[in-house]
Amino acid sequence: MRRLLLALAMVLAASPAWAERLVTQVSQDEVSITSSFAGQTLTLFGAIEPEVGAEQRFVEGPYHVIITVTGPLQNRVARRKTNQFGIWLNTSQAEFERFPSFYQVLSDAPLSNITDPITLAEKEIPLENQARYTAKAGWWDATVFGGELTRLMQQKGMFKLNENGVVFRSDTFYFAQVALPSDAPPGPYLAHTYLIKDGQVIAEKSDGFSVRKIGFERFLGQSARTQPLLYGLVCVALALFTGWLGGVVFKR
Amino acid sequence: MQVYLPIAELSMNLFFLVGIGGAVGFLSGLFGVGGGFLLTPLLIFSGVPSSVAVASVTGQVVAASTSGALSYYRRGQIDLHMALYLVLSGVLGAFGGVATFQVLRAAGQLDLVISLGFLILLGFVGTLMLIEAARAIMKRRAGIVVREKLPNQHNWFHGLPWRVRFKKSRLYISVIPVLALGVAIGFVGSLLGIGGGFILVPALVYILRMPGNMVIGTSLLQVVAMMAATTILHAVSSQSVDILLAFCLMVGGTVGAQFGASAGKYLRGEQLRALLAILVLAVAIRFGISLVMTPGDVYSTAVIGASGVI
Repeated sequence: MRRLLLALAMVLAASPAWAERLVTQVSQDEVSITSSFAGQTLTLFGAIEPEVGAEQRFVEGPYHVIITVTGPLQNRVARRKTNQFGIWLNTSQAEFERFPSFYQVLSDAPLSNITDPITLAEKEIPLENQARYTAKAGWWDATVFGGELTRLMQQKGMFKLNENGVVFRSDTFYFAQVALPSDAPPGPYLAHTYLIKDGQVIAEKSDGFSVRKIGFERFLGQSARTQPLLYGLVCVALALFTGWLGGVVFKR
Repeated sequence: MQVYLPIAELSMNLFFLVGIGGAVGFLSGLFGVGGGFLLTPLLIFSGVPSSVAVASVTGQVVAASTSGALSYYRRGQIDLHMALYLVLSGVLGAFGGVATFQVLRAAGQLDLVISLGFLILLGFVGTLMLIEAARAIMKRRAGIVVREKLPNQHNWFHGLPWRVRFKKSRLYISVIPVLALGVAIGFVGSLLGIGGGFILVPALVYILRMPGNMVIGTSLLQVVAMMAATTILHAVSSQSVDILLAFCLMVGGTVGAQFGASAGKYLRGEQLRALLAILVLAVAIRFGISLVMTPGDVYSTAVIGASGVI
């Protein structure tokens, strides 16, 4: 008994006097892609609370929050066209392994005001870093193609930095909205929240949600992958039937 | 109304898809071609990944050609014997085409080869068609009665070994040019997502000297069979056939084709051919420009391997 108390006392002594934890929630665990899917907005919200067992009853800011939302990982390639004999063709490329198909950074203030670049880079928060640590190429290609890949992903609307995406409703309660576009890739998504105070990351929290095709779309996508021969035969049968029906209906 | 395409993994407007299917179907009914050579580029230009566009259009071409092939079959205007040789060799060519498609996609040169292929093929065929149609129109203006070449004139390659008698076409020729034609059409068709009707029809007429009443029906049957095989091959090897996309195009295409066919009655044959030639050339020029002009963005990106890996 005494040993237990001693252990407890040691734990209490080890934990800093001021410790915060994040309580977070995603508005939806699952985003369903139906036939009329035109994108969806998710709300991520959270509160900053004293650590369980900490002495203080309240927390004191000012706090900053950065949230990164990462979509399913894919192997990607970036290619560059050059003019050869008057024709533009792809001549060089760089591959990126397990590169996020979707990546958004949301924060309540410009990232440079929240913390220093080194901390951001350590946590691999900036958009450009996604390409840098997934590149399967030399340093030079990784830098050049990585930068261009990030730009292309931004153009597609898959990568985004939103420096006023997180809104504080009180000193300790915030929410953020993530807009998934209509061509958001299906798969597991991870929302990672960083709580920052005085430029230091003091708490982190991860939440997952998934984007899934459901019903008919899911059935189609799966059968194309698992039963390709049958799927192809059905496509052909459908085409033959449609063509025949058209001929019958219009009596050509 | 947006509709989500499960294989292309993007949403597109349903009316847009049915609309371009209908517009191309109208033209294909008007000119008696499958319309793949217009639909594939249109889809690519409107943002569908080129691999999905090529593979799905093959399904649409099957639908577009079926009703035509059936009506020719009822009228007995199909040489089944010839079609069998063409289809068998066509499927062989399609295997090659789909395999090449896979290799090119992995190497990142698919778009280039599709553009080059369309440019060369359409440019060549379009120019020939335009010259032929212009001559016909001028002769008609001058009041000369055009006599078609006799179908039984032989070329040297008709005398190659393995002669086969094609009763319906009243031909006794070597199968080698027939098979070579089948393989070539199968290869090009599966690689570019086109039925190849607009190449096959002139080839049957001018190379094999097939009688005119058999040509369209036989070519349509060949297109149906070969594109059906290609759809299955694409579904198995690249898994990029989007059945929903194909279906939207089919619906529009089948309806549009009926209107096109009835509109075609108001135009004379050589006028139709001249218009088709101009259309074909326009598509070729569009591809040519995209190859030569400085692209808006020299960088591009694509997913490799299976998507959604975690």
